[in-house]
Amino acid sequence: MEKRAVDLSLLDGVLQEYAPVKGSLITILQHTQEIYGYLPREAIELISEKTGIATSEIMGVGTFYTQFRFEPVGKYLIMLCQGTACHVNSSELILQTIKDELGIDDGQTTEDGLFSLKCVACLGCCSLSPVMMINEDTYGSLTPDKTKKILKELREAAQ
Amino acid sequence: MRIVIGQGSCGIAAGAEKVRKALAAQNINAEVSITGCIGMCYLEPIVDIYDDENNLTRLVKVSENDAEAIAKFVNCGDKAAVESLVVTDEDSEFLTKQTRIALRNCGIINPEKIEAYTNAGGYQALKKALCDMTPEEVIEVIKTSGLAGRGGAGFPTWFKWNAARQSAGEEKYLICNADEGDPGAFMDRAVIESDPHNLIEGMLIGAYAIGAKHAVVYVRAEYPLAIKRLKNAIAQATEQGIIGENIFGSDFSCDFTIKAGAGAFVCGEETALIESLEGHRGMPRLKPPFPAQSGFWRKPSNINNVETFANVAWIINNGGEAFAAMGTEGSKGTKVFAVTGKVKRSGLVEIPMGKTLRDVIFDIGGGMKTDKPFKAVQMGGPSGGCIPADLIDTVIDYKALGATGAIMGSGGMVVMDESTCMVGMAKFFLDFTAKESCGKCIHCRIGTKRMLEMLERITKGEGREGDIELLEELCYSIKDGALCGLGQTAPNPVLTTIKYFRDEYEAHINEHKCPAGECSDLIEYKIIADKCRGCTLCARNCPVDAITGSVKKPHVINTDKCIKCGKCYQSCKFGAIVKE
Amino acid sequence: MINLTINGKAVQAPEGSTILEAARLADIYIPTLCYDKAVEVYGACGLCVVEAEGIPKLLRSCSAKVSEGMVVNTESKRVVQSRKVAMELLMSAHDGDCVAPCQLNCPARTDCQGYVGLIANGEYEAALKLIKNKISLPASIGRVCPHPCEKACRRQNVEEPINIAQLKAFAADMDLKADSYVPEVAPSTGKKVAIIGGGPAGLTAAYYLTIMGHSVTVYDMMEKMGGMLRYGIPQYRLPKEVLDKEIAIIEKTGVTFKNNQKLGVDFTIESLKAENDAVIVAVGAWKSSSMRTPGEELEGVYGGIDFLRGVIKGNAPEIGEKVAICGGGNTAMDACRTAVRLGAKEVYVVYRRTRNEMPADKLEIDEAEEEGVVYKFLTNPLSFNGEDGKVKSITLQLMELGEPDASGRRRPVPIEGKTEEIAVDSVILAIGQKLVTEDVKELELNQRGNIVADEDFFTTSIDGVFAIGDATNRGASIAIEAIGEADRCAKAVDAFLKGESLDTRVPYISKRDEKTIDYSDREKQSRINPKVLPPEVRNKNFDEVSLGFTEEEAQKEAQRCLECGCREYYKCKLLKVAQRYDINPQRFAGEMPQKYSHDENAFIERNTSKCILCGLCVRSCREVMDLHSIGLMGRGFKTDVSPAFSLPLDQTNCNNCGLCVQLCPTGSLTEKSSLKKQVPLDEIYTDETVEINGKKACVSVARYNGKVLRVIPNDEVSRKSGLTRDELFALVK
Repeated sequence: MEKRAVDLSLLDGVLQEYAPVKGSLITILQHTQEIYGYLPREAIELISEKTGIATSEIMGVGTFYTQFRFEPVGKYLIMLCQGTACHVNSSELILQTIKDELGIDDGQTTEDGLFSLKCVACLGCCSLSPVMMINEDTYGSLTPDKTKKILKELREAAQ
Repeated sequence: MRIVIGQGSCGIAAGAEKVRKALAAQNINAEVSITGCIGMCYLEPIVDIYDDENNLTRLVKVSENDAEAIAKFVNCGDKAAVESLVVTDEDSEFLTKQTRIALRNCGIINPEKIEAYTNAGGYQALKKALCDMTPEEVIEVIKTSGLAGRGGAGFPTWFKWNAARQSAGEEKYLICNADEGDPGAFMDRAVIESDPHNLIEGMLIGAYAIGAKHAVVYVRAEYPLAIKRLKNAIAQATEQGIIGENIFGSDFSCDFTIKAGAGAFVCGEETALIESLEGHRGMPRLKPPFPAQSGFWRKPSNINNVETFANVAWIINNGGEAFAAMGTEGSKGTKVFAVTGKVKRSGLVEIPMGKTLRDVIFDIGGGMKTDKPFKAVQMGGPSGGCIPADLIDTVIDYKALGATGAIMGSGGMVVMDESTCMVGMAKFFLDFTAKESCGKCIHCRIGTKRMLEMLERITKGEGREGDIELLEELCYSIKDGALCGLGQTAPNPVLTTIKYFRDEYEAHINEHKCPAGECSDLIEYKIIADKCRGCTLCARNCPVDAITGSVKKPHVINTDKCIKCGKCYQSCKFGAIVKE
Repeated sequence: MINLTINGKAVQAPEGSTILEAARLADIYIPTLCYDKAVEVYGACGLCVVEAEGIPKLLRSCSAKVSEGMVVNTESKRVVQSRKVAMELLMSAHDGDCVAPCQLNCPARTDCQGYVGLIANGEYEAALKLIKNKISLPASIGRVCPHPCEKACRRQNVEEPINIAQLKAFAADMDLKADSYVPEVAPSTGKKVAIIGGGPAGLTAAYYLTIMGHSVTVYDMMEKMGGMLRYGIPQYRLPKEVLDKEIAIIEKTGVTFKNNQKLGVDFTIESLKAENDAVIVAVGAWKSSSMRTPGEELEGVYGGIDFLRGVIKGNAPEIGEKVAICGGGNTAMDACRTAVRLGAKEVYVVYRRTRNEMPADKLEIDEAEEEGVVYKFLTNPLSFNGEDGKVKSITLQLMELGEPDASGRRRPVPIEGKTEEIAVDSVILAIGQKLVTEDVKELELNQRGNIVADEDFFTTSIDGVFAIGDATNRGASIAIEAIGEADRCAKAVDAFLKGESLDTRVPYISKRDEKTIDYSDREKQSRINPKVLPPEVRNKNFDEVSLGFTEEEAQKEAQRCLECGCREYYKCKLLKVAQRYDINPQRFAGEMPQKYSHDENAFIERNTSKCILCGLCVRSCREVMDLHSIGLMGRGFKTDVSPAFSLPLDQTNCNNCGLCVQLCPTGSLTEKSSLKKQVPLDEIYTDETVEINGKKACVSVARYNGKVLRVIPNDEVSRKSGLTRDELFALVK
């Protein structure tokens, strides 16, 4: 996906609120990601300027936690649960189905910019395993067919 | 009449919100409200209908299409309309056989309303502690109760509180570890989503006991609903003066903050959690100094997990003795488990310590959901181990579970049947710990990776003689040398599976066979000609066109082309495809 | 003060000390890799673990505090096992070469990269001294050595290996031209050592033992010293004048030479043993091997080394016009080329395989051909046929190549019924040489008829008698092999003379997996060979064929070196700890966490594939310098040290204070020296006081062979001065 020019003024509020509060780096980064969908380099440089935290430290923190991304993601972010219950209930098959359907691997985005796939730590919906979250919605008791259907519906909804 | 819809994350994922909207669209003569996680996750979405005498009719596996039927029942008393949805007596036992303390309000009260909590007796314990008890007395009650850390290690709570209380310094912190990261565990999420005020109350009592003016909750970012409900609860409690200055007119003041984690299992380790709270990479600190002396912002800090705090208000209200009356010599009170996997009834189970694994898995959980026999139960997630079928009568007690090589853990209980490969299970956990290793110490950073590589090799049929011994040597070295709990316990899944399922390792290494038939490199799919009806479904599902055959004639799998994805096996409706 | 016991020793330490601090006060070693006083304790490496009585867990001594009555063991079995596995894990993820493959493949472990690099910088004297640490006869060896170093040289993966042997000869020739370097000799130990045999092995052992202060006498049966170098190598390859000069230098160190002294005639091992504190047997292998072919006894059939010796001594045997040499090694080449020079018209080399399988040096094979030698490949003598007791012809069995044998070379098999006959006047059998066993019958021999000597301690069946070189174990080999043994034997004998026992095995070192090395960014530069006499000139005389490198050629050729070995080898803390424990990282071999990479600014070079993530660089940059130029990125196995956004170092705020390099326990961070071609050298570091902006400041100065190579800020004033390295250099000079 093409990166658009980053409007740094969107960060004003966040920085005003959190830059003076020590220990807020992760919170600031979370808000930044909410705004842009990822952590743009320009934003990190601005955060560094306003908080006095070196960019090497910010990148160190950003790359440590799996929540943070440095590239834009697709319209639908598929987070496939890698928890134990999901594993025991064949989440591997669901992963394969998604890969086959979308032609992407873990961490990649489809060429049309519609879907990104990310394998994530346990989502805590173990009773519904295997589970995935797409943006804010959780989908449980997945089967390969059910997964295909969900992806198809989302694709149609986007068109 | 009241309609209450279970809206924990599981319920919502199963469609509870759709059900709620569908019900709202109906013209129903009843108040429709929500509650948190009822705990019978396998039956979600669940709709509870209370009549005016508070008699409950519980409907399970409800879908939005059932809204009309429900309206008929509520409006006209037509029970037949919902007969098929009513929970069975057998399923009801899932709850009636439990003893709920930490979960006492879960699935009953509305988690988004403070009145619901206070009406259920909430914040009385806090009031009692602040107005009638000294901090030392609070600690004494907790000591009497025998409450131990429910995060996994089982360290006596009073001891930690007392150490933090004794620590010099005006500024202290009380921290709640809600970074529930064990894959397969969701007790804490359920507590926060379903009864956030119970957590707040427990924490405030803890803060009072140690002399902290600041309470902080560190929640996983993967729990957005929990964060939302907790934020809401904090706002309500602040508004009512329960959080803030001179709470209940006492000298005690305490503020409350929420910090969301950002995806790092290691932050469940207390010093890593502190680093993360301070906005750093979540890499554990050296101990000593311990957080009780030098923690958050280098101030004395006490950290307990959600379930621990969830018991505190009950203990203050009912006395330490009442809590201690439950359980065994060394493990008091109750413990919540998230029972999942190949078990018939999965969900949250809270039972007194001293029950057996059999009680949980077979009596409450209803045994296996497939026809395959029970093989093992995984407890404690990546830090725990697999307990085999012949130890099913092990008592739930810190010491007894520890003796098996597994641990009590935070409450994850994943049930496995004969189709689960135990080497694969060990590999699954090592893959997890290797990915979650913070990278600071050598033993964990490189050791878990090397263990994973060995396990990968073994499950591919490339194991070598001596691998088991080498794995064991590495396990003991990592246990001894790793810096923090994550690394020190990372070998447990490997050690327990070697201990109880050594023959499976040997089969992989010596015979290049996976007895459970799970390791795709070691199995082969075949079509039994007699059973194949030639429906062509398998051929159509095969992603690599490895299956050929004409309609209504037995099909054949070309093993050279086959990628062992198992799709044919899954799709065959006649059981004609077998894996060997 | 707190009283505690460490390793059974009563130790006192101030209250609040860590166990590590207490141990250091008491001079007890505890390894650490992530600890430094300059920064906060970190606890990553886990090597400082110790066991304390009554405490079930191992303690990280860098953070665990001492307590009264504590009983600590810093080397218990459990502690050692923990450190051993930690080091094995660490090294399994450390992608680097401690030393270059050329050095590793040299039987004498000569620091090829070191001297090649020094030559590239024009530092010939330093290069010569470095060579002489391992080779006492470099001008000679440089000329004759089949250079296993070059076979391992990675430059061949780009185009061709570095001309290492000729560069060695060049540096040595430069030394012979002027005041030759004679090393300083240690004060006399009063110990006497007798060495039997004045060949490369004996002379080398004599040289190093003399330097160590022992009194050494070399006994040799020939009229002059040099052994096979003198009597087995033709003049055109190694002029005797060069050898004489080099032997004279050895004599200058104080070695006593006794020539025309034959073992078993003039003395015995026992008689030498009675007069000396130690005896080294280095008698060599002076008997030509037989082919067991009918007709070997005929007149005109000569042994290869016998023939060469005869020519060198001035009594060349009669060879006639048609000569056949049997064999494919370097002795065969020496023999055929000598035969050409003696005037033979037809010279054949009979070899049962093909050119590709010939063990002789390729250059020799080519040069011989240029001089007119005819190769008879895939032939094997069936019989030497004579008339009146004199050889007249050879019947050759024609061969073809079959399946590969144990050595990987395709096995020659006879073609049924196909033979060829060639007419000859003489035959030279150059198929190997053997020990004359009667000479050393006092010693235990093996089945091959060679002296049994311990491979690491060089001891024989007689106490105090050591044996090295062609006469031992697997028999005759190349000179550099004997020299390497002699060097190590000298150390073993030195230890023996002190009443100790020294294991001369090469300790653990880290090596890269050759398969993973990428050469695609290397620019091709052809190998330079020294000019040689034209074939038509050289085939008529015994003048030296090679004209040697000019200075310009030598420097240019030396510049081609890829610099495989680690520049921090001599300072590497990681290696020292690794060598302390008997480690085998191979058992944990797996994926490397980082790609081999390179980033540099004006002074600092970074290679994250060697990084062990001790965090000292990141922490010192943050805690001491408050610069934050680099940080830890990512997590787990793939954690990396890097500037933000993976920027190169020269786009950061790095001020080149060099603290990170100083603290780096391995070669992940290095500081470039003032040499234009970078070389790993055993520099001597001294702290010196200088004045910067009117303030006293401390700098660390690294010198090699008296020359300043680095000036590194070593206190706050110098680190924060902002001075460039040139300005710092000016302060020292």
